[in-house]
Amino acid sequence: MSYAYLFKYIIIGDTGVGKSCLLLQFTDKRFQPVHDLTIGVEFGARMITIDNKPIKLQIWDTAGQESFRSITRSYYRGAAGALLVYDITRRETFNHLASWLEDARQHANANMTIMLIGNKCDLAHRRAVSTEEGEQFAKEHGLIFMEASAKTAQNVEEAFIKTAATIYKKIQDGVFDVSNESYGIKVGYGGIPGPSGGRDGPSASAGGCCT
Amino acid sequence: MICGDKFACHCPNIFSHASNHSHFSFLSSPDPRTSHSNSSFLGHERGSSEGSYRSSGSREKRIGYLTTGVVQKPGCLIKDLLIPTILLQWRSQGIPCYNKATCSSCERTLSSLELPRAVPLACGPSNMSVDESILNENQERADNGVNNGSYGASQFHGRPFHGRPRHKGHDPGRDLSIQVLEKFSLVTKFARETTSQLFGENQSNGFGASERRTHIQTNIDHPKKSSNMVEDSSDESPVALDSQEFGGMMVYFFISIGPFDNLSLVWGKPRQPPLGSEEWITFLDSEGRITDSEALRKRVFYGGLDNELRNEVWGLLLGYYSYESTYAEREYLKSVKKSEYEIIKNQWQSISSSQAKRFTKFRERKGLIEKDVVRTDRSLPFYEGDDNQNVYVLRDILLTYSFYNFDLGYCQGMSDLLSPILFVMDDESEAFWCFVALMERLGPNFNRDQNGMHSQLFALSKVEFEYEKTMRFWEVLWAHYPSEHLHLYVCVAILKRYRGKIMGEEMDFDTLLKFINELSGHIELDAILRDAEALCICAGEDGVARIPPGTPPSLPVDDGSFYVQQDDIL
Repeated sequence: MSYAYLFKYIIIGDTGVGKSCLLLQFTDKRFQPVHDLTIGVEFGARMITIDNKPIKLQIWDTAGQESFRSITRSYYRGAAGALLVYDITRRETFNHLASWLEDARQHANANMTIMLIGNKCDLAHRRAVSTEEGEQFAKEHGLIFMEASAKTAQNVEEAFIKTAATIYKKIQDGVFDVSNESYGIKVGYGGIPGPSGGRDGPSASAGGCCT
Repeated sequence: MICGDKFACHCPNIFSHASNHSHFSFLSSPDPRTSHSNSSFLGHERGSSEGSYRSSGSREKRIGYLTTGVVQKPGCLIKDLLIPTILLQWRSQGIPCYNKATCSSCERTLSSLELPRAVPLACGPSNMSVDESILNENQERADNGVNNGSYGASQFHGRPFHGRPRHKGHDPGRDLSIQVLEKFSLVTKFARETTSQLFGENQSNGFGASERRTHIQTNIDHPKKSSNMVEDSSDESPVALDSQEFGGMMVYFFISIGPFDNLSLVWGKPRQPPLGSEEWITFLDSEGRITDSEALRKRVFYGGLDNELRNEVWGLLLGYYSYESTYAEREYLKSVKKSEYEIIKNQWQSISSSQAKRFTKFRERKGLIEKDVVRTDRSLPFYEGDDNQNVYVLRDILLTYSFYNFDLGYCQGMSDLLSPILFVMDDESEAFWCFVALMERLGPNFNRDQNGMHSQLFALSKVEFEYEKTMRFWEVLWAHYPSEHLHLYVCVAILKRYRGKIMGEEMDFDTLLKFINELSGHIELDAILRDAEALCICAGEDGVARIPPGTPPSLPVDDGSFYVQQDDIL
C-alpha cells in the first residue's frame, strides 16, 4: 500500500500500563483483557489520513520492565513519535514518568514528538492520578497529553492521530529533513512531498519550475 | 578434456553437456569473478552479476565471453565448478567492490555456501565416490585456475583499489550485523566476542588481514595450493571487508569455525519419533538408574520425548535428579525437596502486611509477578479462566524463587520459562526445583550487562515456537547433545536459513527486527535442528574451542557470587 509518509512510533511506559492493549485497540479495534506479556518488542501498523495524505504508522510496542530498558533504548533511535503511557490507577507508573522521559530525551532524536497517555480512564473509581496532574506534567515537559482507555477505545484513535498530526505539522514547518531516516520518517512512493516538506525536495522542484 | 569425460561417464544426465571449450574458458580465466556467473546456477540472480561485470568496464568483453559459455553450458558449470565455486566464492571476498552491484553480487555468491545446496553431495552413498572424484578433480583445476586468477586479479585490481577512498566511517552493514547477531541471541559472550573479533579487527588494525589469514590457514583443510590461493585472497581481503556486509561476515564465521569441505558432506540426521515409555524402560536398570546417559541424551536429541514421559525425564535432563539415582533415591529426594520448598515458600508467606509496607522490594516484585502470571499462556486450557489455580501456583513458585535467589529476584520472562515446566511436572515443588535447575543453566545470562541477551534467549526459547514445540525444543537443548551449546548453533541455523532473504532485501535494522519477530511460529523445528546439528558437526573442535569457558550453560569460571547484586533490578 502506498503512503505519503511513514512515521515510526514507539510505545513506552511501565509494565502493565496497557501499552500492547492500546496498540491492539488502535490497529485491530479490539480489546483483549488478557494480553500476553510483551518480551522484547512487538510491531503494529496502520494507515491513517492527515491532510488528505495517506500516512502509515509503524508502531513499536516495547516491554516495560526495568531490566529490559537496555533493549528498549536501542529502539528510540529513528522514532518520530513516542507514546509515553502510565496507568491512572497506579500511582507508581506516574511517578516513573520522569525516568522514562529522561531515557527518551537521551536516546531519541531531539525532535521526537511525545504524547503522554493516562490509560485506563474507564476505571475512574480506582483513579490514583488526577487528570490535572497529568496535564501539569505534560505542560512542564512539553508533551501532548490525553487520558485514554484501551478497553473502551476512548481517545485511542485520537492519541495516535494527534501525534501524527503534530509530526506532520513539523514536516510542513521544515523541522525535519525527511530524507534523513534517522528522524523516523520515510517519504513513501505514493506520496508527493508537501509544499514545504523536506529541504531538498521543494527547492529542487521549485527551481525546476521557475527555470 | 579427460575429466569431462569422466564425469559424463559417471553422471550422464547431468554432465553430458560438458564441453572442453568451457573447461578451457574457466581454466584460462584470469578473473576469479567467473564465480559470480557460476553462482547464478546455484540459484542466484543472474541479472545483478552481469550488472557487476558491466561495471568493470575494460574486461567486459572477456567476461562476456565467459558468461556466454556459462549460459550455454549449465551442466558443465555445475559439474566443473561446484568446488571451485566454493573456493572462488571465498576468493571473491578479495575483489574490490567497485560499486554496490558488485558488492551485492559478492554476497549472493557467498551465500551459495548454504548447506541445502551443498547437501546433495551427501545424499546417497552411490553418489559419494563420484562426488569425491569431482571434489578432487575440481579442486586441482580450481587450484590452477584460481591461482592464475588471483594473480591476474591482484595485478589488475591493485590500482583501482588503492586509488579508491575507503569508507572508514560509519558502516551500516556492520551495525546491522551486530544487531542481527545479538537479536538472534548468539546470546553469550561467544557471539559477542566473535562479532567483535570480526568487526573489531576490521576497524582496529585496519583490516585484520593477517588475523584472517591465520584462521583460514589453520581451519581450511585443503591442499597447499588452495591455501596459497586463500592466502592470496586474504591479502586483498581488506578491500572487500571494507564494504563487505553481513553475508560475508556470516560466511566467514562459518568457514572460520570449520573446514568447509566437511560442510558439503554433513547433514543432520533425520529426526526420530519421540521416545516412548516402552523404549524408555530399556534405558533403565532394574532399580531405575540410567545405564547409559549419553545414549539417552542422544535419543532425546533426535526425537524428544512423549508427553507422558516428560514428567519423569525432564528432572533428569535438567540435572535435578542425577542419572545414577535409583527410583527410591529419586522418591526420597523428592520428599526432602518438597519440605525444603515449603520452608522457603513460608518465608514470604509469613510476611505480614505491616512488614510488607516497609519492604518495598518485596512489594514491587510481588506486584510484577502478579501482573505477569495473569499474562502468561492464558490461552492454554491449563492456565485459562478466572481464578485458575495453576496461575496462583505460577505466582507462588516465582515468588518463592525470588526468595530462594534473592540477588536475582524476578525478571520478566521467567513466567514464560516456568509455565511449561509447571504444566509438565504438575507438582508445585517439583516444578520449582526443575525451574531452579533451569535457571542455574541460564544463570550467567541474567547478569545485568547481558540483559539484552537473556531476553533474547527467552524470545528464542519460547515465543518463537508453539507450546508443544517449545517443550520439544527445550528437551532437545537440555539433552546437551551433540553440544551443550547447541542453542548457539540453532541461532546460526535460523540465520542461515533466512540469509538469502535478509541479504537479498538489504534489510535495515528496523525491517530486520520486524522480519525476525514475524518468524515467530514459522520456524520449522526439525529442519532447524538438523541444520544446527550439521553446523555443530562441521564446527567440530574449532567450534568448541571458540566458545569461551563459562558460556552458559557451562558453569561460570569466575568465582565469587553467582549473581551480581543489582540494586535497580527488581
